[in-house]
Amino acid sequence: MEAGDIISVNRVNFYYGAVRALTDISMTFKKNKVTALIGPSGCGKSTLLRLLNRMNELIDATKVEGEILFEGRNIYAPDVDPVEIRRKIGMVFQKPNPFPKTIHNNISYGPKLTGTSVADMDALVEQSLKQAVLWDEVKDILNKSAMNLSGGQQQRLCIARALAMKPDILLMDEPTSALDPISTAKIEELIEELKENYTIIIVTHNMQQAARVSDETAFFYLGNLIEYNKTEKIFTKPDVKQTEDYITGRFG
Amino acid sequence: MKNLKNHSMRWRYFKQNVFFVLVRASALVITLALGGILLYILANGISVISWDFITKPPTDSMTKGGIMPAILGTIYLTIGAIAIGLPLGIASAVYLTEYARQGRVIRLIKVGINCLAGVPSVVFGLFGLGFFVIFLKFGSSILSGSLTLGFLILPTIIGASEEALKAVPQTFREASLSLGVSKWQTIYRIVLPNALPGILTGSILGIGRAAGETAPIMFTAAAYFTAKLPGSVFDEVMALPYHIYVLATAGTNIEATRPIQFGTVLVLVAVVLGIDLIAILIRGSMRRNKRW
Repeated sequence: MEAGDIISVNRVNFYYGAVRALTDISMTFKKNKVTALIGPSGCGKSTLLRLLNRMNELIDATKVEGEILFEGRNIYAPDVDPVEIRRKIGMVFQKPNPFPKTIHNNISYGPKLTGTSVADMDALVEQSLKQAVLWDEVKDILNKSAMNLSGGQQQRLCIARALAMKPDILLMDEPTSALDPISTAKIEELIEELKENYTIIIVTHNMQQAARVSDETAFFYLGNLIEYNKTEKIFTKPDVKQTEDYITGRFG
Repeated sequence: MKNLKNHSMRWRYFKQNVFFVLVRASALVITLALGGILLYILANGISVISWDFITKPPTDSMTKGGIMPAILGTIYLTIGAIAIGLPLGIASAVYLTEYARQGRVIRLIKVGINCLAGVPSVVFGLFGLGFFVIFLKFGSSILSGSLTLGFLILPTIIGASEEALKAVPQTFREASLSLGVSKWQTIYRIVLPNALPGILTGSILGIGRAAGETAPIMFTAAAYFTAKLPGSVFDEVMALPYHIYVLATAGTNIEATRPIQFGTVLVLVAVVLGIDLIAILIRGSMRRNKRW
């Protein structure tokens, strides 16, 4: 790993039962950058994302080969606790999934249960909601159920909930695919602001979105990493024909 | 062409109406049967119901007096059965759905649990007699009876809990785990609270069964007659279902006690409804707080 890299994937294979979903993936992600993972459905981009915080092991009969280095440690080493890893690598999901609790308790849930000592929980809630640009909309209804918020607001709440853990990396799995265009635009602006302090890795089906928000883009196809480069390069003159075919909409 | 279309449409509506009538008729038959039974019990039993009947013990070889010891006994046994069956059942369901790796062994265990649900209650009674009463030397007692009834309702509670746990969206678990919250905390803080209303719904069925069963307590807890109230869980008690059985088959004067039998049945139905009502109220207050 070079300076400026935060997490590096080394020769990773991944299997669902007997089916190989990822083949020999090696790549490094840069600190404080937005990296987009793109590719057609079933190409393995979400699988790779979920490998980075060990979420795939919730599924029975899966197998990982290779290593993923974070802070110089292989997160798949036998002595590593996945719970530890997930505190530092947060995640936002495809569909907004707030807990059926109040807005305040959604944010404070993680820090409280992970035993993080927080001197002023209200301040942390406010700070997290401000970071997710949701504070002004919800500051008067913090004790109301999060289920009453709109889809876009719920997704920003989920981002705030992840930020409250003060993670190093934020993984986003198609965070806007269930949202309307205005909510999508808000989340994209938010991503732009968040990369000052966080490393963001985002899976997206929306190529314009990848082009708009990311610094680096990786194109996957059938479980292989086809091309990984600066976003500008990928979307203007990609090296590989398959990448060009995909981004120009010839398949996918 | 138009006629043909009309014809086929009419035929389809006709079939639909036939089915609606059949479905409504089935619902009506069930309702009438249930209502009929309840009314019959009410009509025959209401005459003996009085304050004394539910607060005094039987007298004159159980041909007069009240049924208070039996009411209390049934309440004790039911609460005991819930206290044993509910935690054990929920814990088993949590293991089966949240922790166990789904495979052949787990499938086998689930088949076993389903079989247990079909075992006749008298078999549970004999098991209770052999294991709790004799082997563990609990004697014929509230403890033995509660344990036996608790085991009897276990399959119902496990089944209901499994369904309720599966109904909690996977996204809640993922959201919690992705924050670095441990698996047990996720289950305790997110999964269980959201599954509890569903667990209670299914368990209500089990509770009704525990209160109403005769065979399992016959050998393990129920006394033919005892005027004194139990002092500890190691005492025998009278119980409503067994009292009805005794009065109707082995009493000193079966004909003379007919009204008391109906009265006892009425009280048993009321006690079961009462316990169910409490469970429904608890569930209602939980539902108001949880929603997704």
